[in-house]
Amino acid sequence: MLSKLLKYELKATGRIFLPLFLALLMFAGITRFIAPIGPEEWAAPATISMIIYIIILVGMFVMTFIMMIQRFKNNLLSDEGYLMHTLPVKPWKHIVSKLFVSMLWIVASGIVALISILIITLEKGRLTKIAVGFADLYHQAFEQLGASIYLLSFEIILGILVSLASVILIVYASIAMGHLFNQHKMLASFGAFIILSTLSQLLFTLISMTPGIAYFFNLHISSPNDFAAIQAVILAIAYGIIFTGILCSAYFAVTNFILCKRLNLE
Amino acid sequence: MSTILECTDLTKKFGSKVAVSAVNLKIERGQIVGLLGPNGSGKSTMIKLANELLTPTSGTILIGGKKPGIETKKIVSYLPEKTYLNDWMRVHQIIGLFSDFYADFKPERAYEMLKSLSINANDRLKTMSKGTKEKVQLILVMSREAELYLLDEPIGGVDPAARDYILQTILRNYNENATVIISTHLISDIENILDYVVFINQGQVVMTSSVDDIRNEKGKSVDGLFREVFKC
Repeated sequence: MLSKLLKYELKATGRIFLPLFLALLMFAGITRFIAPIGPEEWAAPATISMIIYIIILVGMFVMTFIMMIQRFKNNLLSDEGYLMHTLPVKPWKHIVSKLFVSMLWIVASGIVALISILIITLEKGRLTKIAVGFADLYHQAFEQLGASIYLLSFEIILGILVSLASVILIVYASIAMGHLFNQHKMLASFGAFIILSTLSQLLFTLISMTPGIAYFFNLHISSPNDFAAIQAVILAIAYGIIFTGILCSAYFAVTNFILCKRLNLE
Repeated sequence: MSTILECTDLTKKFGSKVAVSAVNLKIERGQIVGLLGPNGSGKSTMIKLANELLTPTSGTILIGGKKPGIETKKIVSYLPEKTYLNDWMRVHQIIGLFSDFYADFKPERAYEMLKSLSINANDRLKTMSKGTKEKVQLILVMSREAELYLLDEPIGGVDPAARDYILQTILRNYNENATVIISTHLISDIENILDYVVFINQGQVVMTSSVDDIRNEKGKSVDGLFREVFKC
């Protein structure tokens, strides 16, 4: 059932994002071709195409944010919820399918933005230069840090994904909590968001103030050699991932509880 | 006959407003039941409670002996009073969605009914009138072989000719063990197909009776009795 939900979620969102991606790449291409042609008579079209490109770029990221909220609020808590919640599907699957698809589009938007920037700025031979640069960086890093470079890269990617999930889930939890109110649901959602983020911040401060952890970090980060320092960084990121993961589970649990036990569609 | 729907002290409040008040009700399988009452009497609220779209304030509602959940959603086919379909989808895509999620959905039945009502399966819902959308929803709901159909105002927005077709469709598609609960205030239109009626007013069940009893013992039509009970 989860795969079917994912399929429909992708269909519902893809029809917005794929044309946006295409438009972005197209205007990146147009800007790229017009710009270098040269003297003044081409300046205006190049500027216009550049402006359109930037508008689409910004619009794309705004859209990922709007879609994240809309798909949850409209599809699950408004009229469309009458269909979604009468399908024989457990609510957590609805949350997971929306979360995954939202994450997918945010990551995809980032990648497409990067490609479009490359299209505009790339000159002949630059790509190989960049590749060589990356290879150099990798070799240097490997020499200094050894195999822990893999661990670090893995952690960074995982960290980005978990942070992304936590941002989306705190929004879901806020919308769901706003739904508990009979009136002013939007306002209540904003309030819930502020309360949830304050609580999370407080929890983070509390944890980092725990004597053991503070002592531990001081010890490692002040170590003289690079290797020990990188170990400390790896450990710090790991703690961060675990902490963010716990927050994610809490937001998820709140959202799921409300959808399961406190659903009240008007 | 076994019970398909059972409410025990079922209560639902919205803030201080009581929408359903301590309702006790048992509906047996294999009949067409009219859930009849004036506007705002709690008909939709009861049906939504049965679909887990609302959470009861107190009391219980059981469908086939189970609390509303995944298992009951597999056997309940629900027509809400509002349009719940995505505007951007085409009719055949929605039929695909229903086939994907409901094991008891019969797509061939849906296509046949679409044809009878001259609705093009390639049309997007966005381009349809409100009445046509309602027809599409009813077709989807009646194309399932469910044990319980909960139809909330199924004929409110459609023209009389389509109304007749829809009632015929309900009659034709419903098998011996299935139960159909129709909520409406348009009684005279559906009176002829009802076996049993539940009168509801201000969140309370005022009267339950078989239609035969109303006709034989009281010598009245359901519509006549309704007007008498709910006289303003």
